[in-house]
Amino acid sequence: MRHFVWFALAVSGWSSAVITTAAAESGPSYTRDIRGLLSNRCVRCHGPDGEDRHGGGDDGLRLDTFAGATADLGGHAAIVPGSPGESELIARITSTDPDLVMPPPEAGQPLSERDVDLLRRWIAAGAAYEPHWAYVAPRRPDVPAVVNTLWPKNDVDRFILARLEAEGLTPQPEADRVTIARRLALDLTGLPLSLAEIDAFVADPAVDAVEKLVDRLLAHHGYGEHMARQWLDLARYADSAGYADDPPRTIWGWRDWVVRAFDANMPFDQFTIRQLAGDLLPDATLDDRVATAFHRNTLTNNEGGTIDEEFRTVAVIDRVNTTMSTWMGTTMACAQCHDHKYDPLSQKEYFQLYAILNNTADADRRDEAPTERVPWEPIDTQRTAIEQEIAAIEAGIPQLKKPAPKDHAEPPEFQPARKIIDALRKKLAAMPAVTVPVMQELAGDKRRVTKIQLRGNWQNLGDEVREGVPEVFNDVAVPEGAQVDRLALAKWLVDPANPLTARVVVNRIWERFFGIGIVSTSEEFGSQGELPSHPELLDWLACELIESGWDLQAIQRLIVTSAAYRQTSKCPPDLVARDPENRLLACGPRVRLSAEVIRDQALAAAGLLSPKKGGPSVHPPQPDVGLRAAFGGGIDWQTSTGEDRYRRALYTTWRRSNPYPSMVMFDAPSREVCTIRRPRTNTPLQALVTMNDPAYVEAAQALARRMVREGGSTVADRVSHGFRLVLARHPSAAEVDRLVQLQAEVLAEYAVAPADARQMATDPLGPVPADLDIDLADLAAWTVVANVILNLDETFMCP
Amino acid sequence: MNPLLEHKLLTTRRHLLGSMAGGIGAIAMHDLLGATSGAPAPSLAADPMAARQPPLPAKAKRMIVIHLTGSPPHLDLYDHKPELTKRDGQDCPAETIAGKKFAFTSGTPKLLGTPRKWVRCGESGMELSDAIPNLHRVADKMCLVRSMFTDQFNHAPAELMVYTGSPRAGRPSLGSWATYGLGTENANLPGFVVLISSGVQPNGGTSSFGSGFLPSVYQGVQCRSKGDPVLYVSDPPGMSRAMRRKSLDALKDLNELQARELGNPETVTRIAQYELAYRMQASVPDVMDISKEPQQVLDAYGAKPGQASLANNCLLARRLVEEGVRFVHLFDWGWDFHGTGPQEDIRDGLTKKAATFDKPAAALIEDLEQRGLLEDTLVLCTGEFGRTPFREGRTSSGGILGRDHYPDCYSVWMAGGGVKPGYVHGASDDLGFKVAHDMVHIHDLQATILHLLGFDHTKLTYRFQGRDFRLTDVHGHVVKAMLA
Repeated sequence: MRHFVWFALAVSGWSSAVITTAAAESGPSYTRDIRGLLSNRCVRCHGPDGEDRHGGGDDGLRLDTFAGATADLGGHAAIVPGSPGESELIARITSTDPDLVMPPPEAGQPLSERDVDLLRRWIAAGAAYEPHWAYVAPRRPDVPAVVNTLWPKNDVDRFILARLEAEGLTPQPEADRVTIARRLALDLTGLPLSLAEIDAFVADPAVDAVEKLVDRLLAHHGYGEHMARQWLDLARYADSAGYADDPPRTIWGWRDWVVRAFDANMPFDQFTIRQLAGDLLPDATLDDRVATAFHRNTLTNNEGGTIDEEFRTVAVIDRVNTTMSTWMGTTMACAQCHDHKYDPLSQKEYFQLYAILNNTADADRRDEAPTERVPWEPIDTQRTAIEQEIAAIEAGIPQLKKPAPKDHAEPPEFQPARKIIDALRKKLAAMPAVTVPVMQELAGDKRRVTKIQLRGNWQNLGDEVREGVPEVFNDVAVPEGAQVDRLALAKWLVDPANPLTARVVVNRIWERFFGIGIVSTSEEFGSQGELPSHPELLDWLACELIESGWDLQAIQRLIVTSAAYRQTSKCPPDLVARDPENRLLACGPRVRLSAEVIRDQALAAAGLLSPKKGGPSVHPPQPDVGLRAAFGGGIDWQTSTGEDRYRRALYTTWRRSNPYPSMVMFDAPSREVCTIRRPRTNTPLQALVTMNDPAYVEAAQALARRMVREGGSTVADRVSHGFRLVLARHPSAAEVDRLVQLQAEVLAEYAVAPADARQMATDPLGPVPADLDIDLADLAAWTVVANVILNLDETFMCP
Repeated sequence: MNPLLEHKLLTTRRHLLGSMAGGIGAIAMHDLLGATSGAPAPSLAADPMAARQPPLPAKAKRMIVIHLTGSPPHLDLYDHKPELTKRDGQDCPAETIAGKKFAFTSGTPKLLGTPRKWVRCGESGMELSDAIPNLHRVADKMCLVRSMFTDQFNHAPAELMVYTGSPRAGRPSLGSWATYGLGTENANLPGFVVLISSGVQPNGGTSSFGSGFLPSVYQGVQCRSKGDPVLYVSDPPGMSRAMRRKSLDALKDLNELQARELGNPETVTRIAQYELAYRMQASVPDVMDISKEPQQVLDAYGAKPGQASLANNCLLARRLVEEGVRFVHLFDWGWDFHGTGPQEDIRDGLTKKAATFDKPAAALIEDLEQRGLLEDTLVLCTGEFGRTPFREGRTSSGGILGRDHYPDCYSVWMAGGGVKPGYVHGASDDLGFKVAHDMVHIHDLQATILHLLGFDHTKLTYRFQGRDFRLTDVHGHVVKAMLA
């Protein structure tokens, strides 16, 4: 297998200008210089799609392979290695005749002089093609040597530093302890640390204080919930079935399985196998079957007059696309209708994957069958109690075991007991069972035959295909004669020979911590994706993951204990100008928090957040909109009471047709389809949420009460306390002064407006507790101060 | 403050003032979004909603869509079929239904001629039914398409098809594409506003006005006539405007300290977004308050302040586009005329429902024209699909006349914004089962709309998952005959 020599990356777009190519003088490299050029400008018409390939002979001209590009086209060839002058490709891209020039005028601008020159020099040097980097399994690269041997804390840093040194850059110093504490806590648990935990960490003299904190956070009760959030985006988890009426769906048992799996640090290969094929494991447990609900998160269409088979087909297509996106960063969707335009993935291969997923029992039914009943203690306890009562009555009067005789011949003395037992049985029958929709393989003559769907039309069928995986990737291991099933597919994905899964997984972990992946297009590793910024580091991490036994926490620990991660995010202006996306990591990450973390952080700082884990999704406050779903029930909900009002955002009921509005504004998706990467926008509507949403106003009110109750007696101390509860750090003198000034200004106004003060301090949180000795105007002023702290730019950022 | 930050701040402010008009083509737009590579937008330091010129000469600068959710019976509103009336009650000819599936009808249904009366309107002589008498007045401004067809016959997929070009969720909607391409004229209002009447969401849920894989700044913002006109736009109870200003001053000072300390351009952007939010808090309630309209305008639309009606929403649409909102999308529920109840009867039921629509729709067109806005405001009125030329299966034995879903041939209309006025495009066959000539697919309609807005539909693209996606997928042709 070919081993690539990686040169410095050439990222397209506006960041490329700042990232110099260290090896620009050497000849053009196919991977670095040519592949993207051909892919973007030529391959759409001269590529893998045999049905729609233009030019050349009968089979069309193909420029994405050496054989295709050098094929004899009747005395000439598109590319003649070593001879740009004889290569038709060069003649065409430099032609001034609109009928001859390539790309044709309707396909955009002609190639630039630079591009033409690159192609000319590449052909002159022999036109060497290389396989796409991401389709060749990673091999553990040597860790590079660095000049500054003091900076690296582990091998991750050697890769980062080697690159910085080549660029003539030096890393930024380590961030202060408080910043590191907040960064680690938000990255690993999505929750702020308590002040006691911060103080203890800052005071810890141990040289491995950071490592110890990381270990505590990896074992923290909030870790699995935080990790699950992204997995739920990938799995398109929601509490409703989708489409117009979008009825409720009970599938939270699977969500809780995911949280438990992350908490237990389940190896990623097991995590994969159980979710894709847990039911096919020998001696599959209930948990293994529940895990398969990963692919039961697809939409079902319950609208009247739908054809179930049509939407079952849609669900299977979604499963193919989601599997390939989630595990392999590969967009298969194009190949549903035709051979892929850019990558060697045929429509036949698409339906070979489809065939693997095409034989489960679910079929777009309203009842979501098949389902598994899962234990849920509050209901199970009640059920057991009723069953015991019935048994007790039956023991006393065995006749009551049978239904009452129709002819009213029952002795009158049985009547009262009969009434009671009937009522109990009715109650038992009406008790909701908690279920989870699962994957269940069809057997025997129920099995479906898969045929290619021509142009993606489920009613227009072509040749029959057998289960299989695309040829460009590793072989799938099945015993001679056995068919490739979901279990084989799952094992194939986590086979060390699979070129993509480990890279895709470590890249997503990297992206979580640094805000941008080593491959910035974390959803696309194919030829249309971006090249990695640190290819060798990516491969090294991928090999680490596999060799560690797919230990996700080990990789996370490695990254967050690195010197690269610990750098201050304070970034000199010339560096911002040179590398605005911080791809080189000459300073620490500063990334906007997710919708969920922004909300959880506010509730936690306010002391409102409930630590309760798992169970049915809840209804935190949401404005009434007075609308119904089309053909469905109302959108408005009854706000949950007690601690369910303040659960982590993970547990908020996710209705696809109307996802929780304040989270949507912070870029949470609708979860109708697999979302690999959320955008991170910065908009005025977000400001309106955190200033005015009653949930955030309530958090400000509770935070204000904490500032008053715990913050000491002076205004400055209380300001500092509120600041620390949210941001972990102490405010500067200037910051204290500004908030003290605000408190005084606002207090003066509330002192003469008692009705306003009462509302500001108590609506919606409720009356001030009797033991909190404070004037309402003062508390209202503190609420305004708390509202400002919860709206600071720094509050929304992982520092 | 350091020079780089100052520059960023100034740039941001300039964008916020909306003064950034002038020749920015698709490429610069990508740069603004940091989107050429599909990589995360670095900080959106430049304002993605800044007004931009489209690459081609545009006839329409803004757009209003009136979506009649459920799909109106076009054969009783827009497309008169005398032959169908003549054969009312007869079995559908075998060839019209052979091999076809319908949502609620099986077997051989009976042809259903329209019970409506028809009028030739205006100088154009466009034939419209008596269910929409007010639209008769503006027939000479309408461009009526009688040869539409789509691929979907269930509500949710069909609606997503109309607005996102795909029957599956996940793609950006028409309004998102429009604001992605054009930005908006008034930064103090959302660029893409959604108004819903008759109490029910679109079939596609929020995805019918969602931004799909485009940055979420381009999703439609739902405005309401009850409660907060935009969610969370009101300050909390007990906080005055003066108090909000004071708290924002403190917030700004603290954020500026932070910007100086860390040098992160995103902080500067956030300061600007809070100031914008503060202005929105005043401008949104102001534009949404129709009680400021003169009585004769309210009367013309049939609007009543405080209600949530299509009439109010048509008037609001005019107020919003007048203030520089780029795209207004109205959804009105209650057009699914199956005949399962008297409100779904194509006789009295349709008369009543149509009265809530045709008066404000006609008023909207006249109002836009009077204000000189119609020439560069495109109005589209459509459902998800059409309705069958036969009686719906489930209700065919009752006394109520209804029609099933029908994708193969139906009617939509547009007005203003560069479409040919007083013009009928295409025709259905004698019984209304098939397009007789000049077929217009949903993707063709979308290509034509984008053309009117100044875009080549094949070039208004966004790179996602390694592919340049567009509204029209890989299809669509501009229907030149519909252009003025």
